Amino acid sequence: MSLFVNILIAAIIIGLAGYEIYKVTQKSKQGKCAACDYKCEAKLMADKAKKQ
Amino acid sequence: MTTVALMGNPNTGKTTIFNQITDTYAYVGNWTGVTVEKKMGNIKHSEIVVTDLPGIYSLNPITKDESVAINYLLTDDADIILNVTNAGQLKRNLLLSIELLEFGRPTVIALNMIDDLKRSGIYYDINTLSEKLGCHIETTNARNKDGVKELRDELLNMPADELPDGSALELNYPFMVKQAIRQASEKLISAYDMKPAFARWVAIQYINKNKIIRKYAVKNDLKPLLEQQGYYDAQNFENKIFNTRLSFIDETLTSATKNLESTKNVEMTSKIDKIITHPLLGLPIFILIFLFMFKLSFDWIGTPISDQLDALLSGPISTYADKLLISIGAMPFLRSLIVDGVIAGVGGVLTFIPQIFTLFACISILEDSGYMARAALVTDRIMQMIGLNGKAFIPLIIGFGCNVTGIMAARTIEQPKERLITTLISPFMSCSARLPIYSLFVAAFFPKNQALIVLSIYFLGIAVALLMAKFYQVIFKVKDSTVFIVELPKYHIPRLDIIWRGTWDKSKGFVKKAGTIIFAGTVLIWLMSNFGPAGFVTDIDNSFSALLGKVLLPMFAPIGITSWEAISALFTGIMAKEVISSSMMVLFHTSSQTALIAAFGQMFTPVAAYSMLVFVLLYVPCFATIGTIKSETGSTKWAAYSVVSSFVIAYAMSFIIFQVGSLLF
Repeated sequence: MSLFVNILIAAIIIGLAGYEIYKVTQKSKQGKCAACDYKCEAKLMADKAKKQ
Repeated sequence: MTTVALMGNPNTGKTTIFNQITDTYAYVGNWTGVTVEKKMGNIKHSEIVVTDLPGIYSLNPITKDESVAINYLLTDDADIILNVTNAGQLKRNLLLSIELLEFGRPTVIALNMIDDLKRSGIYYDINTLSEKLGCHIETTNARNKDGVKELRDELLNMPADELPDGSALELNYPFMVKQAIRQASEKLISAYDMKPAFARWVAIQYINKNKIIRKYAVKNDLKPLLEQQGYYDAQNFENKIFNTRLSFIDETLTSATKNLESTKNVEMTSKIDKIITHPLLGLPIFILIFLFMFKLSFDWIGTPISDQLDALLSGPISTYADKLLISIGAMPFLRSLIVDGVIAGVGGVLTFIPQIFTLFACISILEDSGYMARAALVTDRIMQMIGLNGKAFIPLIIGFGCNVTGIMAARTIEQPKERLITTLISPFMSCSARLPIYSLFVAAFFPKNQALIVLSIYFLGIAVALLMAKFYQVIFKVKDSTVFIVELPKYHIPRLDIIWRGTWDKSKGFVKKAGTIIFAGTVLIWLMSNFGPAGFVTDIDNSFSALLGKVLLPMFAPIGITSWEAISALFTGIMAKEVISSSMMVLFHTSSQTALIAAFGQMFTPVAAYSMLVFVLLYVPCFATIGTIKSETGSTKWAAYSVVSSFVIAYAMSFIIFQVGSLLF
């Protein structure tokens, strides 16, 4: 495996991690947790209020 | 335009139904005189406006907030009343329904949570109920949206201009009461031009000592009522009205009840409750149940399985991955990133799944069996002793799963000040993300008392939360505390599918986080520990993470944290608390818990380890929680305040524990 491929794979992993951090901070601003898929009542209310 | 007044007892799923039948809603300021927000919504493609009124047990208000409902009936002209009831607690819920039916407006009663009722082996014949009560009845299960469409259609099919004048329910009150009602209402109709149904309702409410109606009578100088007040009260009509209503409900429910399973369940429930909610035994039982839960998670089931997973990960998986990477020609830095970074960090955290799964399964069992409501009741006594409302305990219990959902749940608290207090204390509840680091530390320092130590941390979290709540209550001058009444569902054997769903719902978040934020945090700490001011470093002591940790060492030494690795890990923990343990794995270049535990042994004394656990419990909330505090309170100020205050509290607690503990042990 060439140096280029090595660096490319590392860059992809780091890039992915960077993107995840960005995504999570964006989500956090909306009051969501990275784990949270669970559409609880409160969250539905918050989403609806935002749409208006 | 048709207006629908949504009324019902608290915790009947009123707001859930409101959200499901309306498509748009808005808070339109506060109700007059109180701090409860007024919420109105529209049913899609219609002119129907629904107003969500605060939950009440009776039209006679106990607190100021509850007066909103009766004032609404007096001043606003609701065309339809939608009364949401908890089907499982119909006997009590119908007390309010009768008062609403006597009002004489067309009423729809929604028997919500109908599934819970069916599970308890009881069902009501809807036609009989509808006939006896003289109104439309719909069965719903708002949580699964069952019956909500039908309810909506029912409301849509009641256009305002065609509404009949709704015949008010007339109960067979004792002769004297009946006569008093008749005489008063006749005079009200002739002298005050009141509609017959309204006059009758006002008379009944007046006789029944409704505070608001009594004021209304004085204000409008309703002489027929004012003159007779002494007589009504002396005859104790209030009790007679109550008894008539109760026997009407009993009779109605008896005739409508179908397929009544044996009453064994009811007897059993009250027998169990005598012990479990006992004023003295209640709390110790609550603590014992939690201890048992942690025993299962840490000593009996969780940790042993976790150890197996750990052995698999740090042994065959790591070795195989390393060999594979060498064979395809990966360079050392890439191997380090994948094996020491991603596999050790993400994999390391995933090995804690058994503990988390077990704990969530236990919580799901407690929820489904009906114990959680009792837990709220038991803790309410203690909370009352320090002048707090037990209602806040429910969001706090949800906070055990995730602080974000806990804070979201605080929305059910109608008083803004109480809601703010609950939001601010929620981060002190020990969420599941903190379990991996607890697990590591208790295995390293307290192998024989793992469950007990974790239990003490959880209860310390509750204690700090309660103390802070009291503090805020004094600062914010909260006086008019709402009454806390909780439904006590019947006990039943938890259903396997519900437990599985509950456990999976709560645990899948953890698995998902492993692929997102934990992965990201792990890569970040790997970068920080492999790069320094001079670029790529081979000696971790020259890395950014070491520099950061070392600069802060003097600050953390007084609380017993003397390793820069721990300080760096605490920093990354702000992304998500699980990242603390994955960072430790990366910083110590190991995916093996056993190796990590050995390394800890040289850095911490047991007292310092406990102080570190307390610090992890209380220090700065994770990103998601900070974001939620900001969005829920609508201010950056409160989010920043939460970050600073929790850090100060964590530092102070750990300082006391470490300094006093070091003197003692």
